[in-house]
Amino acid sequence: MTTLTSNKPDKIRDKVHRVLLGKKQILVTEDEPLLVQLEREGIHVEYQCREGYCSSCSIKLLWGQVEYPFEPLAWVQSGYMLACCAIVKSDIEIAFFSD
Amino acid sequence: MSYSTFNRKQFDSMKEPMFFGENVNVARYDQQKHPIFEKLIEKQLSFFWRPEEVDLSSDRKDFQKLEEHEQHIFLSNLKYQTLLDSVQGRSPNVALLPIVSLPELETWIETWSFSETIHSRSYTHIIRNIVNDPTKIFDDITVNKEITKRADSVSVYYDRLIEMVSLYNTLGLGTHHVPEHGDIEISMRSLKKALYLTVASVNVLEAIRFYVSFACSFAFAERTLMEGNAKIIKLIARDEALHLTGTQHMLNLMASGKDDPEMAIIAQECKEEMRNIFVEAAEQEKDWASYLFKDGSMIGLNAQILGQYVEYITNVRMQAVGLDTAFETKHNPIPWINAWLVSDNVQVAPQEAEISSYLVGQIDNDLSESDFDDFDL
Repeated sequence: MTTLTSNKPDKIRDKVHRVLLGKKQILVTEDEPLLVQLEREGIHVEYQCREGYCSSCSIKLLWGQVEYPFEPLAWVQSGYMLACCAIVKSDIEIAFFSD
Repeated sequence: MSYSTFNRKQFDSMKEPMFFGENVNVARYDQQKHPIFEKLIEKQLSFFWRPEEVDLSSDRKDFQKLEEHEQHIFLSNLKYQTLLDSVQGRSPNVALLPIVSLPELETWIETWSFSETIHSRSYTHIIRNIVNDPTKIFDDITVNKEITKRADSVSVYYDRLIEMVSLYNTLGLGTHHVPEHGDIEISMRSLKKALYLTVASVNVLEAIRFYVSFACSFAFAERTLMEGNAKIIKLIARDEALHLTGTQHMLNLMASGKDDPEMAIIAQECKEEMRNIFVEAAEQEKDWASYLFKDGSMIGLNAQILGQYVEYITNVRMQAVGLDTAFETKHNPIPWINAWLVSDNVQVAPQEAEISSYLVGQIDNDLSESDFDDFDL
């Protein structure tokens, strides 16, 4: 299991976490990967394979913690995360590469 | 120096770099320096498909109904795809196998290249099904100026690496005079640099050039035209997504210096040149878009939109290998492409899925004592 952590301390380990994206804020659970939850909120994220091998859904993880239930095949740049297969484990802030 | 098909030296392959170490001897996978390459092999094998599985009978009717300029777009795109896979079906083998030093990477290269040959066979399957005389289309690939221009740019780095490696294998390090090519300096540094730039240009081919062609194929399917073709391209796109992950891993492993410290220095030195490879490819793809749409555009796609997509996808791919983005375009101008690219609704044949009645010699191991409760002897 891969864990990405940042220096920001964990908030209360709730099952619901806040995801900050620019001025937007959405609530997500640990039940599903981030990508589907962003889509449900109407936020468009690039995707292709949706199972961790193509890296199309790579987005910036500015701070916070995510976990991968299985190690993705794609290379994950440091400071980035794969939205399609990452489970959000704390409040996080994300950004698209173009921002 | 000279290549051996079974290196008789004893060495620890776990300590070898990906390339330019010892030639591989035993094809063993019990110990792996970079296990990612075996994972890619397994994934690629799980994707196995054959073009003949896809029915193209309605594509023939669709094609005949297309307007002339649309036929030009469709056929030119197909010729370009044929060119790209002709190169990819052989070049990783020819260029990389003589210099690879890890068994798992060697096998990944072979697996990768093999899957490209399936793509090449698909184009023949498609062309045979939509036109009466495939010869005209294939023959044009080596004659048509717009296509041959693309052939030069996709093969130049491969060809240079192959030439340098063959000089290295026969004559060793030093400066060698080659008739018509002049003096060529062969040092470990120059070889590794040629390799790094080759992998970068292959990444560009798979991660940018192919995606531009996918956009055209799917633009027809968006209008419910040439849907058999789109189904094949979808399978090809799934493979290509894996291949580009393979080259991204190679590039990032090289740049990190974890595999070969000298490679990290070379990656740093080549940063500008690598950036240029990406930007030049994007410009070439935009020129290609103008050629495709020279006689008219089609609903949903024109030279301008395709050009924006080129810029967008180039930015995405540059970021993935640690380069700063080069273009202003920040949003995907054709977001509908994702629905076509997505692999999770690719149909999987029953014999490949875990349906036991289709699997040969299938044994269900997940049994408990209680399963035999109603069994009397």
